[in-house]
Formats: sequence, C-alpha cells, structure tokens
Amino acid sequence: MAGYIEGRNVSLTFRPPNRAPVRALGGFDIAVEEGEFLSIVGPSGCGKSTFLNVVLGLTKLDSGEVLMHGKPIGGPGSDRAMVFQEFGLLPWRTVQHNIELGLELKKVPAEKRRATAERLVVLVGLAGFEQHYPHELSGGMKQRVGLARALATDPDVLLMDEPFAALDAQTRDLMQAELLRIWREARKTVLFVTHQIDEAIYLSDRVVVMSKRPGRAKKIFAIGLPRPREYEMRVTPQFNDLKLEIWNTLKDEIVA
Amino acid sequence: MAEQAIVRPTFAVRYRKILLGGFAVILFFAAWQAIFLFVPFNPLFISKPSLIAAGLVDLVDSGDLFHDLAVSAVPFFIGLAAAVIVGVPLGIVMGWRPRVGYALDPLMTVFYASPLVALAPLLVIFFGVGVSGKAVIVFVLSVFPFIFNAHAGVRAVDRLLINVVRSLGGGEWDLYRKVIFPSVLPYIVAGSRIAVGRALIAVLVGEFFAASEGIGYAISRFGDIFALDRMFGCILVVMAIAVVLTEGIRWAERAAFPWRAGQ
Ligand SMILES: Nc1ncnc2c1ncn2[C@@H]1O[C@H](COP(=O)(O)OP(=O)(O)O)[C@@H](O)[C@H]1O
Ligand SMILES: [Mg+2]
Repeated sequence: MAGYIEGRNVSLTFRPPNRAPVRALGGFDIAVEEGEFLSIVGPSGCGKSTFLNVVLGLTKLDSGEVLMHGKPIGGPGSDRAMVFQEFGLLPWRTVQHNIELGLELKKVPAEKRRATAERLVVLVGLAGFEQHYPHELSGGMKQRVGLARALATDPDVLLMDEPFAALDAQTRDLMQAELLRIWREARKTVLFVTHQIDEAIYLSDRVVVMSKRPGRAKKIFAIGLPRPREYEMRVTPQFNDLKLEIWNTLKDEIVA
Repeated sequence: MAEQAIVRPTFAVRYRKILLGGFAVILFFAAWQAIFLFVPFNPLFISKPSLIAAGLVDLVDSGDLFHDLAVSAVPFFIGLAAAVIVGVPLGIVMGWRPRVGYALDPLMTVFYASPLVALAPLLVIFFGVGVSGKAVIVFVLSVFPFIFNAHAGVRAVDRLLINVVRSLGGGEWDLYRKVIFPSVLPYIVAGSRIAVGRALIAVLVGEFFAASEGIGYAISRFGDIFALDRMFGCILVVMAIAVVLTEGIRWAERAAFPWRAGQ
C-alpha cells in the first residue's frame, strides 16, 4: 500500500544570509500509512521540525519530494494541521476564539465555528474554560487548546512537533493518554516528533530513528504493543527491549 | 503552629504610593506659597498658589478657560488622529516589509531626532494660523512615536504566530489582521503616551506664534500683560491635562491588554 504521506529522498539546505548554509535534511525517506501513529526521534538539530514544516507546507524542499495521496505538497492545506511545541496560541484570544482560528480563516460561519469549538473544548477536557485567555492557563491546558485548534479544521493528518516537551513529567503522561484517546476517536494520521524514546514507543505504531544532520531515516521500528495502550505497558520486557534497541540506534548519532 | 494569620495591610500601607505622591505635591505648593513669607513678592515676575487659584476661578467663571481649551482641542485631536492614521500603517509596513524599512528608517530617524518644533513658524506660514496650521504642527510632532512604536511592535511579532496563521491557510491580509495588528496594538498605545505629550507641546507652540485664541495663546498673552497668576493657572491646567491623558492611557493599557501585564 502506498504511503499516505510519502517523503522520497527529501533534501533541504538552509541558506541564511551572512551565515554558512546548513544542510538540514539529506535524503530523508519515509512512508506514513493512513491512520497510522508514527513517531520520529532523532538528535536535536537533525531536521525533524524542518521535515514537519515541509509536510505542513511552510518550507520548500530543495530536492526529492513529499507526496500526500500521491500529489506533491505545494503549500498549507486544511488536510494537515500542526500542534506546536510552544503552543502558538494568540494571547489576545480566548480559548474558544483560539480554537476557532482555522475555521475563521476558512470563512466558516460563526454559528458553525462556535458549535465546533464547543464540541472540541469538551473533547480535550477544557469545558468551562472557553472564555479564559492563554495566560490564565497551565502549560498542559495550553497544549489542549493547541490540539483542539489543530482538530477544528478536521485535518486528515496531525503533525505534532514535540508537543509535550514543555510540560512537566506528570502532565506529559496524562497528555499522552489523552492524545491516544482522542486519536482513537478522531482517527487521524499522526506524525509525532519527540526526543523521548518512552513517549515514542508508548504512543506509536512505528518509530523512525533519524541520523544526525543532515537528517536521514536510519532505522524504522515497528511497535508491536497491543492497543489500547495501558500505562503498565511501559514496564513490560517488550517495552524495555524496544527502548534499549532504539536507544542503541540513536546514541551513535548524538554528538554531545 | 500550623497557620499564619494573614496580615491585612493598614490603610496607610495600602495607599502609600498615592499618599506619598500626593503629599509631595501638596508640600511643593505649600512651600511655594510659604516662601514669600521670607522673600519679597513681585507679581511682575512670579506668582503664588493663592493668586493662581483666584485667577483660575476667574477664568473658569468667565468661561474663557473652557473656550480656549475647546479651541485648542480641535487641532490637537485632528493632528493626533492624522498621526495615527499615517503613522501606524507606515510603521507596520516598515516593520513587515524589510525593504521599505531599510529605505525609510534613516530618514525617519533623522526627522525624529531633529528639533521639529523649530519648523513651527514655517508651518504656520505654509498652513495658516488657524486650525490647519496648528493641526499640521501637532501631526509633525506626534506622528513619529506612532511610526517608531508600530515599527518596533512589528519586529517583536512572534514568528511562531505567523507560522500558525499561515499553516491554517491564512494569507498576507490575514497575517496583518489576526497577528500583526493585535501584536502591535499595545506598542501603539504606548507610543500614544509619548505622542500626546508632544502634541500638547505642538498646540502650545503653534498658538504662541500666531493665534487669537486657544490655551497657548492665552498663556502667551497673559505673560505679555504680566498677568502671571492666570498664566500659571493656564500652565497648571495644561499640566493637569497632560497627566490625566498619559495616566488614562496607562490605565487603558493595563485594562485592555491583560496578557501583557507583568511584562
Ligand atoms: N530558518 C532556518 N534558517 C537557518 N537554519 C535553520 C532554520 N531552521 C532550522 N535551521 C537549522 O536546521 C537544522 C535542523 O533544524 P530543525 O529541523 O529545527 O531540527 P530539530 O530536529 O531539532 O527539530 C538545525 O541545525 C537548525 O539550526
Ligand atoms: Mg525541533
């Protein structure tokens, strides 16, 4: 089966003015199945965010191609949405209006926007906080808004760039479980970037380990753990074996 | 002992900022009044609070004060409005379009740094002694804080928010409306605090040169006829207006942009 999202030999070099060019991606190959939860782990600076931005349509690649449904990605589209590490909420907007942003840009009438926001606020567990501003929310709550905003336009693909990295460990565990619940209900394809091996294994169907910059896919691991995932699975031998294997693949790429 | 009593601050502690500030103001006027118990008082060169108060009552009573203020308010607000309408878009475009910024920044900096008030006589000759001449002086002096603050505001726009809007399908115009303008707004309001001060000076200067009414004209005429009590009275009124306007804007900033509180 052809990948739902397919990256073939994706290469990209940043050429910042007055600085040396940076080769971020050097022949990255990936095929993401429809409905799959796929994580990417890799050393920092290996081009993970860059690749997500290419899929999102914000960054143009130099060579190779990224296809969605077999068609090259030409720019942003409502079939994809990103959840950002630093949330990216508009501070002057309430929770509700942040969630409605994508719909507003698509000129969806106010009635429908409100209905969608109401449904999503409940889905992400923020009922009662519709009229709060981001500065009144905790980090976990902000990312719930970020997730709701991404879901609002009903994209086929959710791109998540270290979405829980800014959260404390307990909140992160909680958000992972919530994300799996939402993913089960919403049936999206998820492309999830993280630097946490545990998180990648716990959430994913497959985990791609990237090489150091310029980033390539070094190895792909199929996570055979049954679904729904339970917290206890993190302490099973199967989980720990995978963790060790992934770590061994990753550690040679990390330049401290 | 498990609990500690929450100590309620006393009235004096809670309002010490206002109390101390107000006390210093009162002390200043009291000292001004009292100094003439020791120094000979010459009404041709100086006035004192008691006479100023009497002069002010007279000006209010006759309606002259309000008439002059109303006359000055017209060019003040027209000039400020024009400064906002021109300065804000110009500053935003300078900030968002690097080439426009590179082109205009040096020129604007030169203008801002130069004593534009010196152009006032020229502007009066070009635009007349009426409302238009004064409004132009107000505009020239107050447009730059709007330009520079809008410019600075755009440069401080969070790039992540730009990417958010782009990724959700927003175009250039959406960026302006949904991200750039709301981000810049607090900067514009902060700039307006500076602009208002400069606009007040502009009105006064405009009316010093050539005018037959207005609060600046009143100040200069009372000075000319050695009616120093009323001259100081008018100056105090202008000061009070300046304080009320700038503090009002400061208050509005806190009320309107709660997410910036503590920044
Ligand atoms: N806009 C840019 N201009 C120049 N260099 C960039 C830019 N964006 C990213 N880079 C560089 O490209 C490399 C990959 O970045 P990124 O994709 O953000 O890495 P990560 O895998 O940590 O997400 C890094 O070395 C980064 O410094
Ligand atoms: Mg990154």
